[in-house]
Amino acid sequence: MDTLLLQIGNGLIIGSIYALVALGINVIWSIADVPDFSQGAIFVVSAYISYFAVTLAKIPYVLALVLGMCVGSFMAFIFERFLYRRWRGAGRVQLLCAIALFFLWTNVVNALWTAKAKMFPAYLKGSMFGFSYMRIAVVVVAAILFVLVYLFIMKTKIGKAIRAASQESEAAQVLGININTVNSVVFMLGGALSGAAGVLVSPLYAIFPTMGDLPLLKALVVVILGGFGTVGGVLICGLGLGVLETLGAGYLSSAYQHGYAFVILIIVLTFLPKGLFGKV
Amino acid sequence: MFVASRIAIAVSIIILIFIPQFASNYVIYVVILAMLFAILTASYDLLTGYTGPLSFCHAAFYGLGAYTSALLTLRTGMSFWQAFPITGIWVFLFAAAVGYPALKIRGHYFAVTTFFFGHFVYLFLLNSRKLTNGPLGLRGIRPPDSILGIDFSSITASYYLVLFFGVLIVGFLHLLVKSRIGRSLVSIRENEDLAESIGINTSFYKVLAFSISAGLAGLAGSLFAHFFRFLHPTDFAWMISEMIVIMALVGGLGTLFGPIIGAGVVKFFLELVRPAPELRFILLSIMLILVLLFEPKGLVGIIRRIRGEK
Repeated sequence: MDTLLLQIGNGLIIGSIYALVALGINVIWSIADVPDFSQGAIFVVSAYISYFAVTLAKIPYVLALVLGMCVGSFMAFIFERFLYRRWRGAGRVQLLCAIALFFLWTNVVNALWTAKAKMFPAYLKGSMFGFSYMRIAVVVVAAILFVLVYLFIMKTKIGKAIRAASQESEAAQVLGININTVNSVVFMLGGALSGAAGVLVSPLYAIFPTMGDLPLLKALVVVILGGFGTVGGVLICGLGLGVLETLGAGYLSSAYQHGYAFVILIIVLTFLPKGLFGKV
Repeated sequence: MFVASRIAIAVSIIILIFIPQFASNYVIYVVILAMLFAILTASYDLLTGYTGPLSFCHAAFYGLGAYTSALLTLRTGMSFWQAFPITGIWVFLFAAAVGYPALKIRGHYFAVTTFFFGHFVYLFLLNSRKLTNGPLGLRGIRPPDSILGIDFSSITASYYLVLFFGVLIVGFLHLLVKSRIGRSLVSIRENEDLAESIGINTSFYKVLAFSISAGLAGLAGSLFAHFFRFLHPTDFAWMISEMIVIMALVGGLGTLFGPIIGAGVVKFFLELVRPAPELRFILLSIMLILVLLFEPKGLVGIIRRIRGEK
């Protein structure tokens, strides 16, 4: 297998993780106007819970994935209901709260289960075209989730309400859309996606308390670059960032693998201070 | 300023002057770190409290200052007294160059960008092994050369050095925020478009506040480098930026003395959990959430409420 193709493939795999987290953050940001850093914590907590579900309770990996999504959803629901909701409209306080939650939960995980990395047991053996089945599964599951979210936002009634609220929150409320329900739903959706991403990525690498930091930061970049409200934009930017980063690590310098996103962000924002698609 | 506040400031400075006379080395050490963080939070307040943009990269400038000063003395044989001002100017200019494009970004975008910038600086410190010795840390930094017969290798002398520059920097910041410049900064915080419309060059003042705030953090870094004499990138990672934000918020943003009190109070609570370091950041984040929930104006807000002001 050609190295270049292998690297592009790996880029797409990690890029689909970025895109998953970014999709949730994107929907939340466009409705609730907060860059939800706490998704990074949800990512980690879900990964740990599903790890314990797989190793201690011996449940199958697919169920662990569902469990991780439920945990993520639940956490995001609680955060929104009891914290973010108090400060609707005060974006700065919400942002500080989001960062505090992210900080809090990563450190709670660290205190409970130590900083030592844990290895997630392999659930699939074998490989195809030089990619293990587990890596291919990441892309497949991510693709399925993307299609489901797309259908949810475009075809269901609540999806329509979400789109309406993201365009004109007040007008949507005048028309009888319950903004509280919409908020709860988008946070739960975001939490589920981050949870899924956390569980998907854990068998590929190890799990450790700070595993959410980088995917979170990359996802935020993807959201800023990819524009608001478009599922496609997030997908393209997420995969694009994953590929660029892997190629950069392969051909330029691997030490700065996690710095390229910042360089891209600065270049784009210098010329387009409002992001590629110019909302907000 | 009220008479009570003046008296409080005078009394605290006198107490700070006399601490090394009776306290143990451990207490002196902790107070030195608290004073360094007070410089950081006070300078952070100039940008985020007075001017408005929410920044999450203050520790990056602190780290740049620390490494610049250490490397200047190690590689060029400069003395601390030469390296200290050069460090301040260099970090100031660097921040101006970074801040000019970055401050065009508004709101959440700016906050997220600073978060990234902080991480980028951390990666740089960690990976430039030839320059910074990377994860192994930078050793062999000399204490400031003795002047006027004072030997700065002792902890008490370091204490007075940090106290001296701390009072100087805070005094400078106090004059700055009371001046015409300070009022311009506040007008930007209150309403940027309105400030622009009455003829305030908002982008100039924002870059100015950003650079001064960064330059002072750089000076704090220089003091830290020559006091601690060992530098490691994790001392300047994003958790430290986060700690500065929390200290400033606990004290009360936009009040200059609030963040200084915040630095002291938070440092005190952190020392209480010293035996269990993994609880440190849990405690910090809970403090932040409590402040946001119950008193967004921080300790200064509580004091004002007790004294019956608005």
